[in-house]
Amino acid sequence: MDSLIAACARALATGDALGALKRVALREDPPALALRGIAMAQLGELVRARELLRRAAKGFGAHEARSRARCVVAEAEVALALRDLSGAPRKLLAAAATLEAQGDRANALHALLIAARRSLLLGRLEEAAHTLAQVEARAGQGFSPLLMAVAELSSAELAWRSLRTGAARAALDRAALAAQRAGVPALQAEVAQARAALDAPAARRLIAGGQEAALRLDEVEALLVSPALVVDACRHGLSAGAAWQALARRPILFALALELAKAWPGDVAREALIASAFRTRRPDETHRARLRVEVGRLRALIAPLAGIEASARGFVLRPHAAVDVVVILPPIEGEQASLLALLGDGAAWSTSALALALGASQRTVQRALAELEALGRVRAIGQARARRWLAPPLTGFTTALLLPAAMPFA
Amino acid sequence: MKTPSSSPAEIVREYGPFDGAPNVAGVSYDGSRVWVALGAQLAAIDPQSGETKRTLDHASDAGTAFDGTHLYQIAESRIDKIDPVSGQVLKSIPAPGKGNDSGLTWAEGSLWVGQYRDRKIVQIDPETGAVKRSIESNRFVTGVTWVDGEFWHGTWEGEESELRRIDLTNGAVLERLAMPSGVGVSGLEADGADLFYCGGGESGKLRAVRRPRRAAKGEGA
Repeated sequence: MDSLIAACARALATGDALGALKRVALREDPPALALRGIAMAQLGELVRARELLRRAAKGFGAHEARSRARCVVAEAEVALALRDLSGAPRKLLAAAATLEAQGDRANALHALLIAARRSLLLGRLEEAAHTLAQVEARAGQGFSPLLMAVAELSSAELAWRSLRTGAARAALDRAALAAQRAGVPALQAEVAQARAALDAPAARRLIAGGQEAALRLDEVEALLVSPALVVDACRHGLSAGAAWQALARRPILFALALELAKAWPGDVAREALIASAFRTRRPDETHRARLRVEVGRLRALIAPLAGIEASARGFVLRPHAAVDVVVILPPIEGEQASLLALLGDGAAWSTSALALALGASQRTVQRALAELEALGRVRAIGQARARRWLAPPLTGFTTALLLPAAMPFA
Repeated sequence: MKTPSSSPAEIVREYGPFDGAPNVAGVSYDGSRVWVALGAQLAAIDPQSGETKRTLDHASDAGTAFDGTHLYQIAESRIDKIDPVSGQVLKSIPAPGKGNDSGLTWAEGSLWVGQYRDRKIVQIDPETGAVKRSIESNRFVTGVTWVDGEFWHGTWEGEESELRRIDLTNGAVLERLAMPSGVGVSGLEADGADLFYCGGGESGKLRAVRRPRRAAKGEGA
């Protein structure tokens, strides 16, 4: 490292991005480009920062694999802050491996965390879980409180999306401690925000007499693991104990299940089932035949969870072992609430899949999504037909641009 | 010209990391204490006990040198001449690399400055900063030092570091000591006896390395 690079890194470490820039503003050698990029990122000039970091990465020679890898990591973090998720994670993971091999554990860990956050933002929960497991395996090696806080926030997000509220809460507790030790107010605020989201009503439960009760996420989770047969109109599926049958892609079957559950222990007349599942008020013989077919399909799918019996006027739900039947609805009525409830699983949904699940037209769903997007309640990735919709992340990750300030680019 | 093969450097002792300093940028020796440039401070270390005897608050981003009375320190793009007793800056001259400078040593009335990515060693007048001559190396140059008429410099390219003795008339490499993998040399000074002191860059360490003896040619060490 030469003297101006050292002076620049020293300025960056004290948060003096302008002072850092002043020292290397006119230099075009790779270490200077890298530090200019980081200073620009800290000043919020993310697009310019990414360009500088790319040039720096290209400029480092074959002998300077570590410096190049650090540039790749910094560039990936800037891309993440820009919410540009189009790049392949391969480069980032390769950089992580290089840094690990070179003994730069802190930055290797940093790279893995960026990869995990990227997967979470893309709704690729399995990929995120895999990366976070790699992070966990390195626990205690090169973990600064700052990285620890980010790791725990990511774990919390993953647990939240997988409906493991206990694990999410525990991860948030650890994140809060780490954020406090790191002394970064923005991170502390993110943890507090995530905790509030965890305590917000996540669903409604129908109770006797047409009454409703608000449920928090942990109450939903408790119901889903209870032996009760739960018909979940948030995630569009049925659960009993550990068993889960998704019906998001079978809207007619789900509508039938929902009607049967609402009437339980009573039965539902054929006309009522036809009206709600096929959306028609004038049923004829063909509808009755179709109903028989659909009920047969539903019966086959949910056989491990419950049975469906014919009654004098229609059908009745018969959960195994005669346990309770519970209906869970989105926290509020309406298309938008249903959309949000579906997206609550953290996966990336196409417009057509959402329309299918809700039994609404794509146009209607698109309109609702556009309104939600304007409110910041959903976000889109990809363009045109490749566009996918996701719930906003539990934690923003925007506030803390964690580029290691004094990352030495020797 | 054939480059001699390298032999492994023998690290005798490690010091640091030092309080609040992630980096060791430069190293010098004043006859009893090792001065290390720690970024925002210059610290004098007792090589026997390893204790920090004195610190001067002074920007110290790269090489450090001692001329018998004064310290010279590269800070940003200048070289400061410092009174080691008062810590006062007596004079500043522009660094020849305008900030690309890394290593610094004093010998026979000249300052010798290593220029990192330029792979150069420059001899300058300590009063005016005027360049007397410059020598090319084929590696990134970090620390530079003179001992017993031998010129040595540290290299740090990527993840590999060496101590090299070179012939300043033609830049030929005469001897190479390879540092262990992942151990960098960011500053270099000989203690006049049988040790080199090497700054360890971002490891924040200072290392003592044994200087090869010349017994074979009957010169003694």
